[in-house]
Amino acid sequence: MTGTVFDIGYRSYAGAREGRRRGWLAVYKDGIRAALGLGRGPRAKVLPWLFIGVLTAIALVMAIIAGAAERMMGPGATERLDLPTHSDYYGIASIIVFVFAAIVGPELLCRDRREGTIQLYLVHPITSTDYLGARWAAMFSVLLAAAWLPQAILFLGLCGGDPSPATYFLAHWLDIPRFLLAGLVVVAYTVTIAMLTASFTTRRAYASVFLVGLFAITAPFTIGLAQELDGPVAQWISMFSLTDIPLHVNDAIFGKVSEMTEHAPARALGTAVLVGWYLAWTLIPATLLWSRYRRLAA
Amino acid sequence: MNDGTALLVAEHLTKRFGSHVALDDVSFTIREGITGILGENGAGKSTAMKIFLGLLRPTSGVALVLGENASEHPRVRARIGYMPEHDCLPSQVSAAEFLTHMAELSGLPPRAARTRAADVLRHVGLFEERYRAIGGYSTGMKQRVKLCQALVHDPAFVLLDEPTAGLDPLGREEMLALVRKTHREFGISVLLSSHLMSDVERTCDRIVVLQGGHLVHAGEVTQFAAETETVFLEVDAHREALVGALGRRGVRVSLDGGGLTIEGSDESVYDHVRDALVETGAPLRRMAPRRRALTELFEREERSA
Repeated sequence: MTGTVFDIGYRSYAGAREGRRRGWLAVYKDGIRAALGLGRGPRAKVLPWLFIGVLTAIALVMAIIAGAAERMMGPGATERLDLPTHSDYYGIASIIVFVFAAIVGPELLCRDRREGTIQLYLVHPITSTDYLGARWAAMFSVLLAAAWLPQAILFLGLCGGDPSPATYFLAHWLDIPRFLLAGLVVVAYTVTIAMLTASFTTRRAYASVFLVGLFAITAPFTIGLAQELDGPVAQWISMFSLTDIPLHVNDAIFGKVSEMTEHAPARALGTAVLVGWYLAWTLIPATLLWSRYRRLAA
Repeated sequence: MNDGTALLVAEHLTKRFGSHVALDDVSFTIREGITGILGENGAGKSTAMKIFLGLLRPTSGVALVLGENASEHPRVRARIGYMPEHDCLPSQVSAAEFLTHMAELSGLPPRAARTRAADVLRHVGLFEERYRAIGGYSTGMKQRVKLCQALVHDPAFVLLDEPTAGLDPLGREEMLALVRKTHREFGISVLLSSHLMSDVERTCDRIVVLQGGHLVHAGEVTQFAAETETVFLEVDAHREALVGALGRRGVRVSLDGGGLTIEGSDESVYDHVRDALVETGAPLRRMAPRRRALTELFEREERSA
């Protein structure tokens, strides 16, 4: 039996070229895949999915406890016992979100610079701002999903755990836009700080350790220092607790002080100052980050 | 594209980094075909390429790619490819995934990007290895992936910065064959940067020579090769007499270790050598054409400047 091998040769591409928009989407899609370890080896998947699992497990535990209390102690037990709900979730889970960001931010930015891939991005029809915007949006999307999913599970759990789910839904439906907005606030801040830190080094480990240290140390340090002092000085020192900055805005959105911020002297400065402080800590790092990447391009 | 169309144009291009002048008032035009940009390390080859790609802005002058300034009009980059000299590949992902991503980055829709990625990997002989993580590839395979990412979006023109760097002799031959194939079979014009004259001579039609940021030569490779070739001669005795006999015939000759180096390699030089050998009776041990080392070429240019 004889056969013929056909060499189809080189085929030029004459199809659509979708320009910069497609390039932006490519960086965004790659960012999401890198953040979740998709298309990478098994080790790259462990940490992101572990964090998503832990964040979800926290919400599940909160929903189970609240449901059990409602069933065993009657309607309204969650409020009577002051059990943690939506307004407290981001406070409780914030350290997990921050550590998750400390892993993902450097993964998205440091690796491209360390391995030299950044120079390939910049010779394609996208700008450095497109690259950075797409990477930021990818990390924002992953963290937002990781923040919203547990809140949605918690809401469903609280609804299902209530003896009258419909009554619970009608009484608490406003928690949905609140937790969506608060999630945006917490994640936008966290992503920006993590990416700015990652932009200063090509080594992911340095950036991750620095970020975890930053988030883990500033809270006890500023709280301890604020307790030694009094008045406006203590209030302003307390403002430098990096984990609390978005949580004060979370409190303002829910109209309720969460367990994580109830002892923070900064609360006395008022909502407007706390929201302004949050905006400063998000927009100034974002501008710095943008200017650092602008310098990479011509 | 017609043969006469200018793909790259540099007009009075100057680039300074502080007090260091990387390119000094350089002007040349690159047309369709394979053009080599030759120069020692630090000659300004990579700087010129980065200016064309829009990665660097020139201090003064104009650099046009396909008629446009790439830093002002990034869309033109969709029609050019670039293979950097240094590492640029992600270690964790497979070649297929990476090339699909690069094709999408140039604007190709996802399905077309996947097809193109598989096609170019087949053309460079990496089709069977396409699902392995790039981090596990050999240097030669990585160089081929680097070439693939420059070709995956089917550009009109590719800039290859030292594509043979770090390769063993066999890998170098394979890479140069791929560069020739890129133009002759794929129809994509090439600007190849190298500090090796032999690479440029075997691959390119035209050449641009840079030295210390200055343009030394621009033209056909054959002409440049003829101008820079020498003849190496070794005799067992009467070497000084032979030098004298060659000198009387107007041949420029210099002592080179145990042998002699003669400027030029045209037929008249061989005739003069034959006559001088007969006249002096010097027993010939070895005679061969030889290319000047790049440093020698540049020293010669400096002397004549």
